[in-house]
Amino acid sequence: MTPYAPHPAHTRFYRDKANGKIMGVCAGLADYTGVDVLWFRIGAIIAASVTGGGIILAYVLVGFFAAKKPPHLYASPDEQRYWQGVRQSPRRTTREIRASFREIDRRLAAVEAHYVSANPRLADEIEALR
Amino acid sequence: MESNDVVGLIAVISLFIGLPWLIMHYRTKWKAMGTITHDDEAMFEELYRLARRLNERMDTVERLVAKDDPHFRPGVAHGDHALGGQEPADPLVHQPASPTRFTSLAAHRSQP
Repeated sequence: MTPYAPHPAHTRFYRDKANGKIMGVCAGLADYTGVDVLWFRIGAIIAASVTGGGIILAYVLVGFFAAKKPPHLYASPDEQRYWQGVRQSPRRTTREIRASFREIDRRLAAVEAHYVSANPRLADEIEALR
Repeated sequence: MESNDVVGLIAVISLFIGLPWLIMHYRTKWKAMGTITHDDEAMFEELYRLARRLNERMDTVERLVAKDDPHFRPGVAHGDHALGGQEPADPLVHQPASPTRFTSLAAHRSQP
């Protein structure tokens, strides 16, 4: 069983009833993976014509057992994209966060360098204090 | 009929012992490497918020410095963040930095 979560988990599969056509399974898959819904719907239709009832049964079972997506799971589209990235590859997301921190470090270094070396006003201040 | 019994036995064994074992084996393997735990998820959430917050603070600081000295060139082009952060809409209106802001730094630097 899944452990008790104080807030809805971002790493589990939900069916997205609000954006879905029938039970929201395809829309849920799209939301989970970040791939466009259309591909899942086309795939489901092709699979239904190839396998017969198998995929329809699977669809109904998944639609029956999967939890509905909580309405306010993501605060922003940015956050949604972030969590899709986490689900696709946690390792890549870790690299991205590291890159983001390095960028902040670079920008901070630029500010520091500006104040330490290339600031005529600061030089004037120092001169005034002498 | 002997060979039929043997085939039946093998079928039953493989179906009721082999197959569940195979499923459980790959399930544990998949769980061990593929998914992230609840703690990992909390950490990802925190890192996301921290990176966003630091980006926003950095934007503010760079804006203040640019206001203080128009010759200042930021380290990285704005709006090009790895996590897709966006610029705050309204620029902060601040007074130009007063000389007292630099006194502590100046005092610190002037010591050999």
